[in-house]
Amino acid sequence: MKKILVIDDEHIVRVSCQRTLTPEGFEVIIASSGSEGLELLEKGPVDLVLLDLKMPDMDGVEVLNEIKAKWPDTNVMMVTGYSSVETAVKTLKLGALNYIEKPFTPETLLTAVNEVFKS
Amino acid sequence: MKNIFRDPRKSLAAKLIIAIGLLMVVGSFIFWFSILHKQEKDIMSIAVNYGGSFIDYVKRRTSFSMLTDHRAVIQQTLEDISMAEGVERVRIFDHDGNISYSTDRPSVGSSVDRDTLACRGCHVEAKSDFQLLSERKTWSVYKDSLGFTALKLVEPIRNEITCYTSDCHVHPQEQKILGFIEADMSLALLDKAKFKQGLALTAYVLVFFLAISVALGIILWKIVSKPVTELTLGMGKVAEGDFNYSVPIKSMDEIGVLTSTFNSMIKDIKAARDQRELWTQTLEAEIAKQTEEIQKTHASLLQTEKLASLGRMAAGVAHEINNPLTGVVTFSHLMLQRVPPDSLDAEDLKVIIEQADRCSKIIRNLLTFSRATPSEKGEINVNNVLSRTIYMVKNQEKFHNIKFNTSIDDTQFISDGDPSQFQQICLNMFLNAADAMNGRGEITVATRKITENGKNYVETEFTDTGSGIKQEDMEKLFEPFFTTKPVDKGTGLGLSVSHGIVKHLGGEIKVSSTVGKGTSFFVRLPLKEQRT
Ligand SMILES: Nc1ncnc2c1ncn2[C@@H]1O[C@H](COP(=O)(O)OP(=O)(O)OP(=O)(O)O)[C@@H](O)[C@H]1O
Ligand SMILES: [Mg+2]
Repeated sequence: MKKILVIDDEHIVRVSCQRTLTPEGFEVIIASSGSEGLELLEKGPVDLVLLDLKMPDMDGVEVLNEIKAKWPDTNVMMVTGYSSVETAVKTLKLGALNYIEKPFTPETLLTAVNEVFKS
Repeated sequence: MKNIFRDPRKSLAAKLIIAIGLLMVVGSFIFWFSILHKQEKDIMSIAVNYGGSFIDYVKRRTSFSMLTDHRAVIQQTLEDISMAEGVERVRIFDHDGNISYSTDRPSVGSSVDRDTLACRGCHVEAKSDFQLLSERKTWSVYKDSLGFTALKLVEPIRNEITCYTSDCHVHPQEQKILGFIEADMSLALLDKAKFKQGLALTAYVLVFFLAISVALGIILWKIVSKPVTELTLGMGKVAEGDFNYSVPIKSMDEIGVLTSTFNSMIKDIKAARDQRELWTQTLEAEIAKQTEEIQKTHASLLQTEKLASLGRMAAGVAHEINNPLTGVVTFSHLMLQRVPPDSLDAEDLKVIIEQADRCSKIIRNLLTFSRATPSEKGEINVNNVLSRTIYMVKNQEKFHNIKFNTSIDDTQFISDGDPSQFQQICLNMFLNAADAMNGRGEITVATRKITENGKNYVETEFTDTGSGIKQEDMEKLFEPFFTTKPVDKGTGLGLSVSHGIVKHLGGEIKVSSTVGKGTSFFVRLPLKEQRT
């Protein structure tokens, strides 16, 4: 079973991801901030990280850099608001696999996630 | 003519007439006076000569009686002689002044004044008021009791042999002067003639003076006063501001020259004034233009500032809404999967999803609008982006009944900016056109290079055959959220976003529209280079 870590400061986004992905056979763990996410990663590897770009204490780019430094093989997918598409594109260069824009539908999320595991 | 004499100090003609008149009067007086004087002298010398011969005559008539000492005869002779015209008095007196004979008989026996001419001739040194006619005769002129001029002649009777050898022995031989013959003759006729001459002279001078004055007056009025008055009138008119007035030129003399100089001066002044007025007008127009431009710039700055702050606020709000919206979208979808399709619940959930979609669309537009600054620097190949966009929309159902007229060639108009933003602008133009035409009509797209204020722009024209834009909507067109479309069809952000992008790139959007005929939008971007 694939393990997915969702890092987002917004409760409703975390729950949305959980409720979309769990029924599809994914194990979903959640973190409400970048540092909490990194702590969880210390405990054990995951197959995919869904990472919000805009967060209060540590923003998505920093978290991405940390993850890529410590666990270069970890798949990361960015979740972003429309206004930061450019930043999202930048994160692709930093090693993120893909990005989806908020608000997303369950289908969009699933398609994007499946795409990651297909390749 | 009147005004010559109105005030002599103010009239050139009057001054001239008075001066010439005075000179004439003085001149004629001097002339006539010298003539009169000469005449008088001539007459006087004639009178004196005549008087001299008269005395000689008296002497000859009386000499015999003297020698024979017939005193009564002498007296009688004198009286006879004095009957002659002009003879006033004849006297004979001895050296002591005793009157021996006189036409004035009562004075015989009395003695003459010591002051009389006969005595003074020898006994007074000052001999200024009488003259010697010849060796023997003395004469002087004086005024008689009636005020007329009179001539007095005196001749001494010298002692001769015949005298002291005469039988009467009255005179001794040693006596040199025996006595005097004195004649007073009236020159009243001469006076009268002189008076008449004076009268004639005065009359002549007066008439001459009058005639000259009138003649001079007329001439001066014609050649000086009238033209000068006309010139003054002209100056008055000009002073009142009538620069079209021109004084008629009637002569070629100095006044004529003055008049024509004045006329040409007025012409020059008028030309200068017209020029100045033209400048003033141009300047006013220029100022009005500048003011309008400043106001426009100010308004546009205000607009930009308004848009910018609105954008910042919108971006913040949009971001926050995206998160709860994710929840709404996710959970309504999940629920839709659980409820039986075609059920009432499924329909309701679809409404929720639809409305959530709308929200997300609004937010997208808002964020685009707030993000008018291109963070992706790039090159816009105008014709390229346009062709791609047209190709894209042509395949959409909305554009199936719309004909595209494109005159886009291979020219590459390159402008700095984000191509995807330019595409967004074009897309909105096409969508707006399609809406305005209700999906049926023609869209004309053209690109061209234009130069304004020394700068090159690439202009893209979007013309449709739609409904057109009402005059009152024109100003609001670029305001965010201005739309005339139904709530679920337009957010009113398309043009304001486009405006923001184009402004930021240093370009502008212009509109021209006729209600019922169609609308043209012109999007201008600074032209970086043009490749063919
Ligand atoms: N080509 C056109 N012909 C006639 N009216 C137009 C045209 N383009 C724009 N307008 C008018 O300008 C308004 C504003 O246009 P704009 O593109 O900003 O917003 P919208 O099209 O209403 O909504 P949005 O583009 O956000 O979906 C439109 O509602 C319409 O009334
Ligand atoms: Mg629009």
